[in-house]
Amino acid sequence: MLRIRCRFSKKDDMIFTSHLDLVKFFGRAMRRANIPIAYSQGFNPHPIMSFATALGIGVASNAEYLDIQLDKEIEADAFTKSLNDTLPKGLSIWACKYIDKSEKSLMSIVNRSVYAIEMKLKNKTTQKSIEKEVEKFLEQDSIIYIKERKKKNKWKRNKKSIEMNIRELIYGIEVMSLIEGKIIMKMSLAAGSENNLKPEVVISKLNEMSEVSAIEDSIRVTRLDLLKRQGEQYVPLMSI
Amino acid sequence: MQKVEIDELLFKVEKPGQYLGNEINSSHKTVNENTIRYCACFPDVYEIGMSHLGTQILYNLINTVEDVYCERVFAPANDLEKLMREKQVPLFALESRNALRYFDFLGFTLQYELSYTNILNMLNLARVPIYSKDRSESEPLVIVGGPCAYNCEPIADFVDIVILGEAEEVIIEVLEIYKQQKQIGYNKKKFLEKIVSLQGVYIPSFYEVDYLSDGRINKVYPVNTHTPKSVKKRIINDLENVFYPEKLIVPFVNIVHNRVMLEIFRGCSRGCRFCQAGMIYRPVREKSVNKLCELAGELLESTGYEEISLSSLSASDYTSLQELVSKLIETHEKDRVGISLPSLRLDNLTFEIIKEIQKVRKTSLTFAPEAGSQRLRDVVNKGLTEEDLLNAVRNAFELGWSTVKLYFMIGLPTEDMKDIEEIKNLGFKVVEEYNKVDKEKRSKGLRVTVSASTFIPKPFTPFQWEAQDDMSKTIEKQQFMKEIINHRNITFNYHDVKASFLEGVFARGDRRLSKVIEVAVRNGCKFDGWRDHFDFEKWMDAFNECEIDPLFYARQRCYDEKLPWDHIDVGITKKFLISENEKSKKEEITPDCRELCSACGINVDYKGGDC
Repeated sequence: MLRIRCRFSKKDDMIFTSHLDLVKFFGRAMRRANIPIAYSQGFNPHPIMSFATALGIGVASNAEYLDIQLDKEIEADAFTKSLNDTLPKGLSIWACKYIDKSEKSLMSIVNRSVYAIEMKLKNKTTQKSIEKEVEKFLEQDSIIYIKERKKKNKWKRNKKSIEMNIRELIYGIEVMSLIEGKIIMKMSLAAGSENNLKPEVVISKLNEMSEVSAIEDSIRVTRLDLLKRQGEQYVPLMSI
Repeated sequence: MQKVEIDELLFKVEKPGQYLGNEINSSHKTVNENTIRYCACFPDVYEIGMSHLGTQILYNLINTVEDVYCERVFAPANDLEKLMREKQVPLFALESRNALRYFDFLGFTLQYELSYTNILNMLNLARVPIYSKDRSESEPLVIVGGPCAYNCEPIADFVDIVILGEAEEVIIEVLEIYKQQKQIGYNKKKFLEKIVSLQGVYIPSFYEVDYLSDGRINKVYPVNTHTPKSVKKRIINDLENVFYPEKLIVPFVNIVHNRVMLEIFRGCSRGCRFCQAGMIYRPVREKSVNKLCELAGELLESTGYEEISLSSLSASDYTSLQELVSKLIETHEKDRVGISLPSLRLDNLTFEIIKEIQKVRKTSLTFAPEAGSQRLRDVVNKGLTEEDLLNAVRNAFELGWSTVKLYFMIGLPTEDMKDIEEIKNLGFKVVEEYNKVDKEKRSKGLRVTVSASTFIPKPFTPFQWEAQDDMSKTIEKQQFMKEIINHRNITFNYHDVKASFLEGVFARGDRRLSKVIEVAVRNGCKFDGWRDHFDFEKWMDAFNECEIDPLFYARQRCYDEKLPWDHIDVGITKKFLISENEKSKKEEITPDCRELCSACGINVDYKGGDC
């Protein structure tokens, strides 16, 4: 079994495509690029590939990860080049390498996601006082977020919204800069199948519980990297 | 030219991926002062419009012309439209994000009558005056085509140019003349007078309509000497060599038909009397197997699609279908390409082919008996017997299908409650066939869907003179069916009467309806083909305000009445249509054109057909 792991970025207009559309899109891109991707068995064969985690519509990313299973070996460089040639502006493969078949899936190893948040603030303030606010915010033992269940299926029992403490899913918030009312923050949050916290939730909580209030339309999110645990450290999913 | 700023809006709408304009295989050209700007406009949402093959063909074709840049636009979804109106963002072409009002041509495709309001709404969003008479020399020309163009009188006041028939040649001729005129000094009237002599070009403003005191038409006549008394449709004689794109745009978002669409032939030789497509797209012309295999290879390679759909009015009527399917499978099976065959008539031959297509998902099979009784099927010339149908479903059940859809129409000429009851009987007989099949062989969970649409008399069909059932009668029939089709394996679906009624009014409407559409749009009507949007009350208000009785358009007409579309020549004679209508009353069948020519007239002026 040949597995290739790659890291790609999603920027510009491409941030407006959904995760599901992206899955389909990659399948077709591989076909256009004549990459010998492996297919599942059955009446409706689909290309065998898996992503680390889904990215919301409107969120950019410097580091998305994808595992692809191949039928035939091709050079990693050729893989990157032929795929990049058919990808539109905004999507590009930065690195790829063959991984062992025993390697754990991306989905199971991803643990944290680091985001850059850019937003305009409603009130005039200084970086210092923002930093203080963030510090106070993080000093709390619990930050309760009420997660509302989507009512996708009307017939199913209407589940109640659930309360969750998101404090333990926040690993760090760093204020990077504040220039002309525009703030840039870095957040490290839980990501993956076990625990997952969206940066939008943290921003809304900051809005609610501190003096850091952003103009809603101005929030722009970029994922900087996805991390896995390695001993005591957290490192990118793929070392290059 | 300045780009319309939409990034802010994209963050706020539900499916922003449809507005990007940089999909794989989209065309992007550099604009200079000589560039002729054309926008292919589809008056419905992206996922519908991008599934339309004609738009993709014309888009690619027009972009082969030097100095012409063809882009696309669709009706924006509600969330975006609301934001655009709020922020005063004008409607823009997807590729360049330039405002539509600076374009030379806005080309709308007329696929269904209930999309007319979307055309006006889009013009309005683009800040282009809706009436052609109100548009200045520098504002875009509105050009339309597609099936509803054959009687586009209800929107005649809004459009400048109508293309009748297949556009591949004539659109290029129109653009070339435009290019010349631009070089020597363009004037709208002069340009229209130049192109009016091209076969397939209809300029509605060059015709006047006189009415009788009872509201019927007295005569339709040209207002100048350049203009022909009657306009002939255009067809492509050599379908084998006509332009066909080697690449199709692959959308980012999911659309209705997200696959390679390969057109295998045009026209239909069956002659069903209710079917407008079967009449207006005559004669039958096929592409060769070799050509199609070549195109399929190119399209699969350029798109990366995993499925190919063979499109036509009736795929199983393609002469070498078996050969084509075998060859396609042979070549592309290794790449896991699936083949889908919509519009199949299921006889024994087709089942042989279906068995070959491994990837056909056994989810559902569709049959279209159209009428419940043999008598009524003879009336409409649907050459399908009960035996044919039951054989086909038995075959399907034996091959493992368990979901079957049956399409019928209610309101067909001469129909009575007995015919309606026969629809139910047919549904029940299908269930019986299933029960007869060995339990080992058949799949579990039989589901039969009986779907009844409302018959709408359409121009250029033998039934163009017939009355449309009034709404109360249709409702009565629907209720009756609902009561008698009471079976746990059968689901019964039917169409909204009001939408069908309105569709009928516009299908056979005349120029006086332009005003009604304008008022309806002003009242907020749009997306009339979408059930959650359709607002019949608003439409009735519009008819009232314009003092027009919609029932006038649903009535029975006599053969000697001047019809609003009589100055349009689709190649089929009125004599033929009358004789077909008379035969229908006698329940007489007309054979398939391939068996016996019925002298419809199409082979008199149009050569190159198979007939």
